[in-house]
Amino acid sequence: MTLDYAWLLDPLYQRWLLNGISTTVLLSLLGIVLMFVIGIIGAAFLHLNVRYLQTPTTIFVELFRNTPPLVQLFFLYFMLSDIGLTLTDPATGRSIPLFTGFTCVVLSLGLYNGAIAVEIIRSGLLAVPSQTVEGARALGYTRLQTFRHVELPIGLRLCIPPMASNIVSLIKTSSQAVLVAVADVMYGATQIMLETFRNLEVMLLIWVVYLVITGVAVLIVRRIAAAVRIPGYGS
Amino acid sequence: MTQVQPSAPLIELRDVHKSFGSIEVLKGVSMSVRDGGVVCIIGPSGSGKSTILRCINGLITIDRGTVRVGSFAVETLTKDKHLVPLRHEVAMVFQQYNLFPHRTVLQNLTMAPVQVLGEKPAVVRERALALLAKVRLTGKENAYPGELSGGQQQRVAIARALAMQPRVILFDEVTAALDPEMVSEVLNVIRELAREGMTCVLVTHEMRFAQEVADEIFFTDKGVIVEHGPPARLFKSPNDPRLKAFLDKVL
Ligand SMILES: Nc1ncnc2c1ncn2[C@@H]1O[C@H](COP(=O)(O)OP(=O)(O)OP(=O)(O)O)[C@@H](O)[C@H]1O
Ligand SMILES: [Mg+2]
Repeated sequence: MTLDYAWLLDPLYQRWLLNGISTTVLLSLLGIVLMFVIGIIGAAFLHLNVRYLQTPTTIFVELFRNTPPLVQLFFLYFMLSDIGLTLTDPATGRSIPLFTGFTCVVLSLGLYNGAIAVEIIRSGLLAVPSQTVEGARALGYTRLQTFRHVELPIGLRLCIPPMASNIVSLIKTSSQAVLVAVADVMYGATQIMLETFRNLEVMLLIWVVYLVITGVAVLIVRRIAAAVRIPGYGS
Repeated sequence: MTQVQPSAPLIELRDVHKSFGSIEVLKGVSMSVRDGGVVCIIGPSGSGKSTILRCINGLITIDRGTVRVGSFAVETLTKDKHLVPLRHEVAMVFQQYNLFPHRTVLQNLTMAPVQVLGEKPAVVRERALALLAKVRLTGKENAYPGELSGGQQQRVAIARALAMQPRVILFDEVTAALDPEMVSEVLNVIRELAREGMTCVLVTHEMRFAQEVADEIFFTDKGVIVEHGPPARLFKSPNDPRLKAFLDKVL
């Protein structure tokens, strides 16, 4: 068996791949931002025992953590496109759909991995020593100030390792974008396979591409972890 | 807020009861501390000493009785916001230091005055540097708590309490977690504060120190104050058999 990568020299295929990679990276970055927003807010609701919001948060977490992300994406895509909300482009005056495939993928990634992030951040908050919290309370910090200035900064640091796996999971899950016709790297790959029939070679390359993207992500997380490490704390 | 006569004690607990679940931990505790007074609470483990301190600064709510500190009726303060002025006046130092591990020594001192009391950072910084000099930690401003010895961390904790410019400091077994050679460096700082007239309530197992600095000793057992009095009398001629037995064990 010989592998034939001659098609890689074709500028058209190169463009499809590069565009796909940048779309995948953009989907992932936006998804990560949304994931953190949802994770922190959800964990805060649960941790601070916010009345009326605790139960809905728990239901949300269970609903999105324990169902396949693909089902969630399709559900979001069909439901939201059905509602048919549109935006008016201020430049052209044309009306464009608000919930494109791209938006739905970002939402879906943020919700699925955000639900997991809620639990991860919450476990980080629970690992903050109760003495540290009591120290803040004795200095007059309110419950919310204690959360903001003491528990969250320490708790987020403590949950970096599981959060790194969650980020990798999000990047991998973003490959579902192809199924709602978003031109991510998987989409580019599918197109190239249809034209060249070099299925094995293309998939091998895509494998490496994901490995590089997640590898870079893990590297960045490690850098951040080192930068925010608390000297003399823990190990 | 009620008007308080100048002669009234600064801290006054009357018939304080507190239960955790079905266990009654305080069964009617009454005590008073005058302004500038130094009192020590001694007693066996689990007798409610820490709980008494936590009642004084409102870290726990009481079930019955009254706790008054200056003009504050502590048991009526329920909202976090209302507790801020109390905690401005009553600082606390803990056995495990309870510092903020993610902030430098200097930030540990400046955080609360700026974030809670809303003071100007530059003013607080000056005060914090002076306090670090007072506890002999100049040069450690940018170290993190985890990089310091236990004795140093506890001195940072005392400086952090002082940065709030309190009228009272509560000390909860602040030398119990320290290696013997570090105990004296912390006790020296407390001794100095007591001499300067800071009102101090100390829970301690250091009986010699209690004897030396306190003007009054309270002995607790099983949630009640069994006996109290000036150290000279209490240590020499204890009346209650429980105090006698306790002193036999620890002295
Ligand atoms: N938050 C809490 N929840 C439940 N029980 C508690 C709580 N805090 C204290 N207790 C119980 O109340 C009793 C008195 O505790 P406290 O800490 O006041 O004792 P102490 O005299 O300070 O003892 P030690 O010398 O060991 O520190 C103990 O039996 C303890 O288990
Ligand atoms: Mg105690």
